[in-house]
Amino acid sequence: MILNLERFQAQARPRWKKLEALIGSLESRPDRRLNPAEAEQLQELYAQVAADLNRVTHGALAPELRQYLERLVGRAYAELYHAPAMRSEIWQPRRWLRIFTAFPESFRRQSRYFVLSLLVTVLGCALGGLAVSYDPASVDVLLPADYLHNPGERVHEEEQGQRQHPHSAQTEAAFSAQLIRHNIQVALLAAALGVTFGIGTALLLFENGILLGAVAVHYTKQGFGLFMTAWLLPHGVFEIPSILIAGQAGFYLARLLLHRSEDRNVRHSMREWLVLVAGLAMMLVWSGVMEAFFSQHHAPVLPYGFKIAVAAAELALLTIYLSLVGRKEIGAEAR
Amino acid sequence: MEDTQSPRASTAVELTVATPEGVLFRLPLAGPASRLYAMLLDVAIVLGTVNGIGLLVYWIFAKAPGFGVMVITLSEFAIGFAYGALMEGFWNGQTIGKRLFHLRVIDQTGLPLRLEQAWVRNLMRVLDALPFAYLVGGISVLSSPLMQRFGDRVAGTLVVRQTPLGVPGGECWTRQKYNSFTEYPSVAMHLRRAATPELASLIQDALRRRNELAPYARREIYRELATYLQNEISSFPDELVERLSDEQYLINASGVLFGDQRPSRVKG
Repeated sequence: MILNLERFQAQARPRWKKLEALIGSLESRPDRRLNPAEAEQLQELYAQVAADLNRVTHGALAPELRQYLERLVGRAYAELYHAPAMRSEIWQPRRWLRIFTAFPESFRRQSRYFVLSLLVTVLGCALGGLAVSYDPASVDVLLPADYLHNPGERVHEEEQGQRQHPHSAQTEAAFSAQLIRHNIQVALLAAALGVTFGIGTALLLFENGILLGAVAVHYTKQGFGLFMTAWLLPHGVFEIPSILIAGQAGFYLARLLLHRSEDRNVRHSMREWLVLVAGLAMMLVWSGVMEAFFSQHHAPVLPYGFKIAVAAAELALLTIYLSLVGRKEIGAEAR
Repeated sequence: MEDTQSPRASTAVELTVATPEGVLFRLPLAGPASRLYAMLLDVAIVLGTVNGIGLLVYWIFAKAPGFGVMVITLSEFAIGFAYGALMEGFWNGQTIGKRLFHLRVIDQTGLPLRLEQAWVRNLMRVLDALPFAYLVGGISVLSSPLMQRFGDRVAGTLVVRQTPLGVPGGECWTRQKYNSFTEYPSVAMHLRRAATPELASLIQDALRRRNELAPYARREIYRELATYLQNEISSFPDELVERLSDEQYLINASGVLFGDQRPSRVKG
């Protein structure tokens, strides 16, 4: 049937205007909820305008009008089928504090990806360590310039405080911010590289593992194992697990993308990835603070035994946090 | 008829959404250039905000500049991600840059995006921004049928163009008091029977677009259509046709085809 556009527009324009005004008011105030009469009116107008769109699509050469109606139908469709989050609910502190329990829960739910992440890193560590033990010259290739010179000199400089800036607290504060920023960026990249079906994530973890293994063996062979443990562990007990969790998030994302069509609750899966990322970011904030303010102080200011004890306590707390927090809530929900 | 109907923006990539009621509608997708401009504007806004905060922080931490640097570094980093995520999450999928360039982020099903999607697509910028100037994201956009960067692919979102469109005006392009074709009812009847729906729609569209066409193009199109109708479809008497311009001929034909003309009152 050919549509008489002149007559059609004259008849339909009032309802287009009415729908536009209704949608406009809803879009400008997402918190607003429709009363039953308005909801009924929206549904009715949507059906009428959708029918108008069908008539214009099949009965007239009117691209601009069709575009206008498509836009209107699209907006009405969005309002009808989507319930936006209430801003007032989102700003409740309780919702945000929930991250502290949600993070360990997500970590445990997706623990198999953590194991995978750990395996790749351990493999890298082993290869890096073996390479340095059997071919000491390989340190030139494996380690960045900062680690290349004689460990003895580095230890001496660190212990004498020669690498510290005179205004140390100020410098440490700025240094910690840079560390936090850099580490979160790297961890986020590992988590985001899941889009390469996990290959990028695995490569990043593997490279990190090689570096870790090579440094550990390089310093231990020179007899500075204790110094290195006390130097790296206070922040490493948070930093290394957080990179592993970034790998976990990356592998989880890869799995998510590969099985997207089967996933019936994409929203929940996406939230899981976000929670893992948010959790590791919190861990990296702590590790950055520790690295700048604590790890860089050596004996005699801070005895190595004390530093290692602090690291052990941190690790114990982290283990308890990741393995136990949130369990009760799950039990309560199940009951 | 749908296939022959190509809107002005037909070269643009579109998302076609089928609603549960069986209605199809299309949303034009934003190209990489407009997205880049919007992003540059947003970057300028974020940098401006961060510098503003920086001045304040330096003033507060005047005696402890190291802590000032710490606060600024972390707030710059956090604002960089949170600006996009919170603006898009709470402001109909738009940042200030996107609003000014008439762009909007939506779910790929045509629905508004949710807050977690906004966070995911903005956190994924660490990958899309690599190795510099969003090269990875740009390649992803150009290689994706829905113009999605990696962040969009993961979050299930896309960026659409949302140029404001006003309610179509109540144009009257065929209304007239008297239609001389109705004086020849048998020829008019033949015209009505022989004209295909496509042809009728074409005449209507040509008249509707009168003011959009250049004078020369309009003259040529109207002449071709009127000649075709007169020679191939139904021949109105020459003495009548000679008195009419091509445009008037088409207006009369349109009146006959759409049947909205009152029967002419023939005197006597």
